[in-house]
Amino acid sequence: MENALLVGLSRQMALSRQLEVIANNVANMNTTGYKSDGALFEEFIAPTAQDDGTSRADSAVHFTNDRGIWHDFTQGPVQHTGNPLDVAIDGDGYFVVQTPNGERYTRNGAFQVNGAGQLVTADGMPVLGDNGPITFQQTDHNVAITPDGFVSVNEGNVTNVEARRGKLRLVRFARAQNLIKEGASNFRAPNGVDPEPATNAKLQQMAVEKSNVNSVLEMTRLIDITRSYAQVSALLQQTNDMRKNAISQLAEVPT
Amino acid sequence: MRALYTAATGMMAQELNVQVISNNIANMQTTGYKRQRAEFQDLLYEHVRRIGTQTTDQGNMLPVGVDLGSGVKTVGTPRVMTQGTLLPTGRDFDVAIRGDGFFKILMPDGSFSYTRDGSFEMDAQGRITTAGGNLVQPGITVPQNAQSITINPQGQVSVTIPGNPTPQVLGQLVLTRFVNQAGLQPIGDNLFVETPASGQPIDGLPAIDGMGDLQQDNLEQSNVEAVTEISSLITAQRAYEMNSKVVSAADEMLQTTTGMMK
Repeated sequence: MENALLVGLSRQMALSRQLEVIANNVANMNTTGYKSDGALFEEFIAPTAQDDGTSRADSAVHFTNDRGIWHDFTQGPVQHTGNPLDVAIDGDGYFVVQTPNGERYTRNGAFQVNGAGQLVTADGMPVLGDNGPITFQQTDHNVAITPDGFVSVNEGNVTNVEARRGKLRLVRFARAQNLIKEGASNFRAPNGVDPEPATNAKLQQMAVEKSNVNSVLEMTRLIDITRSYAQVSALLQQTNDMRKNAISQLAEVPT
Repeated sequence: MRALYTAATGMMAQELNVQVISNNIANMQTTGYKRQRAEFQDLLYEHVRRIGTQTTDQGNMLPVGVDLGSGVKTVGTPRVMTQGTLLPTGRDFDVAIRGDGFFKILMPDGSFSYTRDGSFEMDAQGRITTAGGNLVQPGITVPQNAQSITINPQGQVSVTIPGNPTPQVLGQLVLTRFVNQAGLQPIGDNLFVETPASGQPIDGLPAIDGMGDLQQDNLEQSNVEAVTEISSLITAQRAYEMNSKVVSAADEMLQTTTGMMK
């Protein structure tokens, strides 16, 4: 009898966690390079008391358990911005960012140049090229980034000769689901997982990859969650009523 | 219910986004204005079930974990320093920069500020000033009887004096550039000041060493594009609305929970 309450409770806890995942997706609807999350649930089968003497064993009780969050790595829409330091990745790949805690990986290509001339992310972390951070000189202008990541500029007064400033490092992961989100648009690779060079990714300059949150899907899920939540609580209510009736009626002593 | 706070960060971010967009639209006709863009990043994640945790003695590991995000933050409102279109005005004191560089302006307190707005004027002493009355550096004084002032693409300012057929060179305008133009701090009045993030100012002559050249009788329009701004405005408004839906969903769920207690 108590099982119905507990099963319902496990579902409600899972639902409220799923709502949190959706809230985070919707909050990041306009975040450059954001990849949406989804919640995964599994059945958790509790061992049941069993009496061999009865003709049929008790049926197992199934609880809901949240098993994990998966990342949706589909390509986000690419928006043209006209800013020469905006780079979008088309395909499977990540930029490598040097943070104080080590290398991090991001799809957010809204870059800036810092006071020292280095190419940095919006929060000031250097973006790595094949030979360390990409550094511009003071007289550089007309930054061009090729689809395969070469960063070239026009140096000084020369307008037709290109100077290379490095090649953006692009990496990919064999099992991208293992990446851990760290906030600030960054992903961290778990210990022992090393990135491999990305071969299928193309860069697009003067564009950023928008978040891949699908608003219709999120809103549908949102409705689904609130309704399921109400449904489960109706179930709990009924169970409770049933028990209340049972107690009051069974305890009635006929006079 | 954490979803409430997560959605609130989303609403705050979109509100800021609308503020940035409205400033861009308000400055659509401002000479030399460079549009801004709100840039967002996701907030920290709480690792409820850590990925890679060992689940059995045989060394089985969790392939996916439960990471709950806590919303969105605004990381900056960088300026998009693309060239604005040049608008011919036919006014001798209107100068547009085509390419990199800023005009250097002397502020009343002796410090320097920088601008792309080349709608200059002449004060009572004949000095070239900005529309706000601050002196353009280096100071150039136009004689009282001067006629037809010419500013060439290299920044040389020359005039003709009545009775003298050869033009007289009055001075040379210089431009200033920064390694990180987006790091300049706006102080209003179309002016910017240097910050540690922008790098040191580098003075130079127009049309040399990557500096832009000057176009007299022209003004640089703002680089705000109406279509882009309006579509960003629609996106921001819808995103705001959807975040508010999440708030009401979380509220509804809480209400359901409270309703269970009779």
